[in-house]
Amino acid sequence: MVTYRMNLGKTGSQEIVVGVIGQPNVGKSTLFNLLTGRKVHVANWPGVTVEKHEGWREHHGYRLHFIDLPGIYGFSASTLEEVIARNFIVSGEADVLIVLIDSTAPERTMYLAIQALELFPRTIVVFTKSDLTHAHGIHINYEALANRLGVPVVSVSAVTETGIDRLLDLIIEVARGRIGRGKPLKIGYGELEPFISEVEEIAKRSSLSEDYPLRWLAVRLLEGDQELIRRLEKRGEKDIVKEVMRLRNEVINVFKRRPEEIMAQRRFEYLSKIVEGIVVRVEVKPGVYEWIDKVFAHPVIGSITSILLLVSLFIVVFTLNTGFPFNIILENLGYSGAAEYLEEYSLGGLMEKLIVLASGLVEGAVAGYPQWLQSLILDGVIGGVGAVLVFLPLIFLVALMLAILEDSGLSPRIAVSLHNLLSKIGISGHAVFPITLSLGCNVPAIMATRATPSYRERLRLITTLAFIPCQARLVVILAFASALRGLGSIAVIALSYLGAFLTFMLVNKALYIYDRKKGYAEEPELLLELPPIHKPIPKVIWWLTWDSVKHFLKKAGTIIFLVTLVAWALLYFSPSLSPAKELSESIGAGIAKLFAPLLIPLNMNDTQAWMMAYALIVGFLAKEAVVGTLALLAGTNTATDAIKTLGYSDPQIAALTMFIVLYVPCAATLAVVYSESRSFKTTLLTIALMLSIAYMVMIATYVIASLFI
Amino acid sequence: MAARPWTTLEALPPGSRARVVNINAPGRWSYRLLQMGFIPGAIIEIVVNNGVGPILVRIMGITISLGRGIARRILVEPI
Repeated sequence: MVTYRMNLGKTGSQEIVVGVIGQPNVGKSTLFNLLTGRKVHVANWPGVTVEKHEGWREHHGYRLHFIDLPGIYGFSASTLEEVIARNFIVSGEADVLIVLIDSTAPERTMYLAIQALELFPRTIVVFTKSDLTHAHGIHINYEALANRLGVPVVSVSAVTETGIDRLLDLIIEVARGRIGRGKPLKIGYGELEPFISEVEEIAKRSSLSEDYPLRWLAVRLLEGDQELIRRLEKRGEKDIVKEVMRLRNEVINVFKRRPEEIMAQRRFEYLSKIVEGIVVRVEVKPGVYEWIDKVFAHPVIGSITSILLLVSLFIVVFTLNTGFPFNIILENLGYSGAAEYLEEYSLGGLMEKLIVLASGLVEGAVAGYPQWLQSLILDGVIGGVGAVLVFLPLIFLVALMLAILEDSGLSPRIAVSLHNLLSKIGISGHAVFPITLSLGCNVPAIMATRATPSYRERLRLITTLAFIPCQARLVVILAFASALRGLGSIAVIALSYLGAFLTFMLVNKALYIYDRKKGYAEEPELLLELPPIHKPIPKVIWWLTWDSVKHFLKKAGTIIFLVTLVAWALLYFSPSLSPAKELSESIGAGIAKLFAPLLIPLNMNDTQAWMMAYALIVGFLAKEAVVGTLALLAGTNTATDAIKTLGYSDPQIAALTMFIVLYVPCAATLAVVYSESRSFKTTLLTIALMLSIAYMVMIATYVIASLFI
Repeated sequence: MAARPWTTLEALPPGSRARVVNINAPGRWSYRLLQMGFIPGAIIEIVVNNGVGPILVRIMGITISLGRGIARRILVEPI
């Protein structure tokens, strides 16, 4: 019998909960954004740091509540994501499940759909990318497929938005029980059927049979499902585990093959019967872009191409942002007029003008306010947050670049091309995605290491990824480098990135050698799907970019704002809690002076030392706050002016930049290192590594730079 | 059809085709390979194999890159 449950939504309309599931690369997030109109709420799945996206939409008087499930290949429970997805499905929370299938590769991507149907009957099968089927010479008879599967089938395109309305209608129909299956799909597993029946008899006695459909439970147990076995053991049902294992071994003895292999084969056989005569390929021509695959997979040309591509993308981003490095080149060629023009009308230059203009207006507006409030608004808010906001165009451009790499399908090609190089330092091509993400922000990068199949490799990455300079640090690097004249600024930026990547590689290599000595390191391995290369879809690029910009704005408005306020307050008040007459008598200065002696090797005067120490301490919480704090300390609009005003020497600037690049990026990164490694030791090791390496490199940079300048 | 000698996936030249005979990879890898369609009987086409570095194959309409260590765990019958 069909049992379904509908809730009354907040708006009074009936709410239908819809789970959205699909294999990686089938276009799930694009469709999810389209379905929800991007009114999305992001939280974590209970107890884990996997993101849960939820969105809502009104349709024909119903409130559709979409829940985006992690992209997974199947329900084998070999990853956290697979466990989350299937536990959600069996929880009964969803009224309807929609399973996405890539129209351009239906035979493979339908595997998840039939596994979902084995578990949950109120399912709608959705073919995505229907605009591409013609180009691929694929014809699909959706109606015939719907008849064979017993569930509604619909084809949609996120590009042309065809089929979306039909899908929304179908969701309501299925939720109301008008169409669809009443019972889960039953696949015949041939020679394993007698074993499945036996496991069913055993599983009946288990408390787990209340949580899952019995046949599904039996099939999964026979497949050796690690998560179910763990749960049985936890509940003290060891005898059941033992009996299941006995049957599993019997299968292996009789057929000389593992049950999971036989079952996967039977499912694919079932699939090929289902699609027989329904999916017709007129022509199987290799992709237009197959030459791109060949270039990236080439052992020599591939890695060179990838590195050149990434470096040139960064140069384009820099040029658009500040005119750098072309302004310096023009200047040195004698075209200083053109260089200035380029600087002034770069995105960063325009943004700076805007902030100066805004601070002028605000200064006039607050003229009559009490002294402390004026200081709070002008120095604290405008000075601190403004100094960070100058970098909004930069954040935007880097996000845009990463979005293009991701949406076009170039990212995984780069992973393939760098696999060999990376495996020398003990990491695989899988690490390329987290590394590229790290250039934006370390936090999602560390979370993305989850796709790394080897546990030790993942742990090494979690410990070392923060060495890769994120955008926050890029902000500080640029602010410091801009205080240098001419080629010096290019040198410092180049040195920052080279130094950071070199440190990342050396530390990884060292940890890899250590792991190998201990005997728990495996050769880095690669198993990665390459989605077809395509021209980036502007809509999708915009979504990805905007998400990242929004994240930055939110951070600037909350964390950075708060940190700057605290930094301001600590500088405004003296230990007796009255306004400090001099900055150097403030609470903040008192704290900073405890740490200032650490900067003695850099030959700074007292003021330079404590002020920089203060900025660096604040930077421990959020790196962007370094620029705001410096501007606040020197009473300037930008950090670059602050550095000039405070009179740091060129070698000091170079050394401090290196320290900022390499020491702990922010409190949020440490939090995610802890939540992903679940180890206090790993987190402490990360902090110790970063601080000690950053400090040593800082002093070395200073000593070497002093010799040359 | 006469049986051809079996070999492992990483030994095949680009452009050649083979049928999967069996997979002998550790647990995690083997689940993922099965889900990606590397099941006995599936037909694989080698797209790129340069003798070093990852190989690229097409299986069930999808391009997948495999490290040589993983490819060595997949026993195939050339066709």
